[in-house]
Amino acid sequence: MYGGDEVSAIVIDLGSHTCKAGYAGEDAPKAVFPSVVGSIDQMDVDEEAANNTEQSDSKGNNGDPNSNKGKGKRKLYVGSQSLGFRRDHMEVLSPFKDGVVADWDIVDSIWDHAFKECLLVDPKEHPMLLAEPSSNNQQQRERTTELMFEKYNVPALFLAKNAVLTSFATGRATSVVVDSGGGSITVAPVHDGYVLQKAVSSSPIGGEFLTDCLMKSLESKGIVIKPRYSFKRKEIQPGEFQTIDLDFPNTTESYKLYSQRVIAGDIKESVCRAPDTPYDERAYANIPMTSYELPDGQTIEIGADRFKIPDILFNPSLAQTIPGMENFAEVAPSVRGLPQMVMDSINRCDVDIRKELFGSILLAGGTASMQQLKERLEKDLLEESPQAARVKVLASGNATERRFSVWIGGSILASLGSFQQMWFSKSEYDEHGASYIQRKCP
Amino acid sequence: MQSVDVIKYTDEEYEKYLTDSIWTKAETDQLFDLCERFDLRFIIIADRFPTSRTVEELKDRYYSVSRSILLARAPSSGDVAGHPLVKESYNVSQEIERKRALSMVLSQTKQQERKDAEVLAEAKRIAEARMAARAAEEPDLPVTREVGPEIADRTAVHGDTVSPSNNHPPAAVVPSTSMMADNASTLASLRMLKVYLRTYGLEQMVQAASSSAGLRTIKRVEQTLQDLGVNLKPKVPTKAVCAEHLELRKEILTLLNLQKQLQYKEAEGSSFREGSYGDIPGTPPKRSNRGADQDRPFVPDSTSFGGERVGKRDQKRKGPGRASETPSSPAHKRPRKFKTSDL
Repeated sequence: MYGGDEVSAIVIDLGSHTCKAGYAGEDAPKAVFPSVVGSIDQMDVDEEAANNTEQSDSKGNNGDPNSNKGKGKRKLYVGSQSLGFRRDHMEVLSPFKDGVVADWDIVDSIWDHAFKECLLVDPKEHPMLLAEPSSNNQQQRERTTELMFEKYNVPALFLAKNAVLTSFATGRATSVVVDSGGGSITVAPVHDGYVLQKAVSSSPIGGEFLTDCLMKSLESKGIVIKPRYSFKRKEIQPGEFQTIDLDFPNTTESYKLYSQRVIAGDIKESVCRAPDTPYDERAYANIPMTSYELPDGQTIEIGADRFKIPDILFNPSLAQTIPGMENFAEVAPSVRGLPQMVMDSINRCDVDIRKELFGSILLAGGTASMQQLKERLEKDLLEESPQAARVKVLASGNATERRFSVWIGGSILASLGSFQQMWFSKSEYDEHGASYIQRKCP
Repeated sequence: MQSVDVIKYTDEEYEKYLTDSIWTKAETDQLFDLCERFDLRFIIIADRFPTSRTVEELKDRYYSVSRSILLARAPSSGDVAGHPLVKESYNVSQEIERKRALSMVLSQTKQQERKDAEVLAEAKRIAEARMAARAAEEPDLPVTREVGPEIADRTAVHGDTVSPSNNHPPAAVVPSTSMMADNASTLASLRMLKVYLRTYGLEQMVQAASSSAGLRTIKRVEQTLQDLGVNLKPKVPTKAVCAEHLELRKEILTLLNLQKQLQYKEAEGSSFREGSYGDIPGTPPKRSNRGADQDRPFVPDSTSFGGERVGKRDQKRKGPGRASETPSSPAHKRPRKFKTSDL
């Protein structure tokens, strides 16, 4: 560890579901908040006000608000506190689209929130270590570099791939990293600290997809998940509560969905377990139900879904049996299960390293903290793997470590003495430009 | 920080020594740049290389270029003869072959591995049985000498036939059918080439097996075979079929022997019981040689027959017992055949 006056680096991992930020050298990120933002388009608010006062106006007369059209008039609310508070017309937006960053303003606001409100640091004084997806392309990296250097004036920057950081967090230079995050699952082999990009495979079935499946499944059974803002509980007698429904007509659909997802996500995390054998409708028909109490006081029973939802990771076609999720079939007809993805990825690597890869398969990401996932994956892989290779799936015993393994890897990397010469410094940026990032951060 | 010394060549040197038919200068330059950045980690270099080249191609190009440059720059070839790059050249074909073999090993899944193990065990068992049969032959048969290496060859070849890559059919089968009619001289020359004729070998083994019995017994064995609908000489003399055939013959022989013993014992028993009649023990009731175990149920004297029966059953049980060690299909067939006729 450094001495007192060494300026330590800041590690940020912007995932598709949550953003993790903190100081290098620590063992957990200080700031963890959702990587979606609430956005109120000011133009909408003004238009509404204008419509209310001038009832008889036709559309063509809205000249003034039109001049302010565009993203400049958008107010963004970041962080779980801001998002938890319901506001009229607030839409919930994600910066990502299909796994890549589409809206850089949102990313900017997220970083801003992390620095100014969560960590309370001045980015000018700290080197930044950013975690990036294992299959990031050149434009994304350059854009990130520009944003960091131009807007935040960081003294030094480094972009590290998620898979490499996870690998370092477990102390290995060569491994296959199965990163099951919110938006997608990525399987990436790492050899000697570098990602083998041609062997990376990813599938859109992530934690959020599973949450959606669970929600649709519960809805089809008639259970209504009420978002937290839509009711109030009054104590009529000591210990007894009555639920009163509140109505907020100006709440956006996306906000309602977001709030429901938060609750469904909690159900998923507490109740779901990966089954030991592939899910069979008949076998699980008589399974004992587990009860879960919803925030509005309702108690629901969940039986077969406890095992069906996690099995979607291994058998994606199961998702089509859930009413409401039939459109999945058109979206991804060729999505394979998790064991097949791992086998494919390893078989695309050079023959010489395959044995080593089989022996170190790492699980990371939020969805990886699901119970029994590691055992089930190991069992499935033992069936399909070659006799000559010994299959070993590793996952940290601690659930929070699995969730934050990318961030922890970054924390370790940024505090290594031998890493300090690898930073991409501001002077190098001024000299060579953003494209130099490709050389500096392989 | 340590790093590898990657050779840097100039443009003139490239023109003079390094031009190649499948590599352009741009590609070669790119290769060397990547080699320097990634410290000769060829797997990663292959991953990041813009055009798709295999690891072997990249290594080949890198090592041959380095070698040529070293030789070109050295004042005399003797100076650099000790340099590792010059001493051992990179053998592309060997590497490709090695990798192919390794990928074969790694593509065998657990089920295939299990099947392979079963088949090999079965082959070993058959080979041992054959060895035992042949050990009983007269020593002047020259085939015996060459049995050892041939069995080893055949076991290896048989093992190969079930692996996914090699498809060498057992060399023995093909020549046997075509040269069946040839005379002894051809046979002798074939033996010199260590070709094993299965039909000839089968004859030998049949003779060996029946050497312990008399001519009449052999005739009865053959009669039984015909009654069962089995050809005296198998139509398709593959290894498995020949093994089955021999086994069948042996068991019929055993059956006949036991039946004969049973008759004698019965005659003795009845002669003891009816001592006053003084029966000639030599006229046992004539029993038909039909089938294997259909005769069993009708005999009145349960104790002695039970004893015989248990004895016979134990012998037969060797089949299923064996089958449990090596669960392959031919072994299964044998106990099943007798079981159905038991009913």
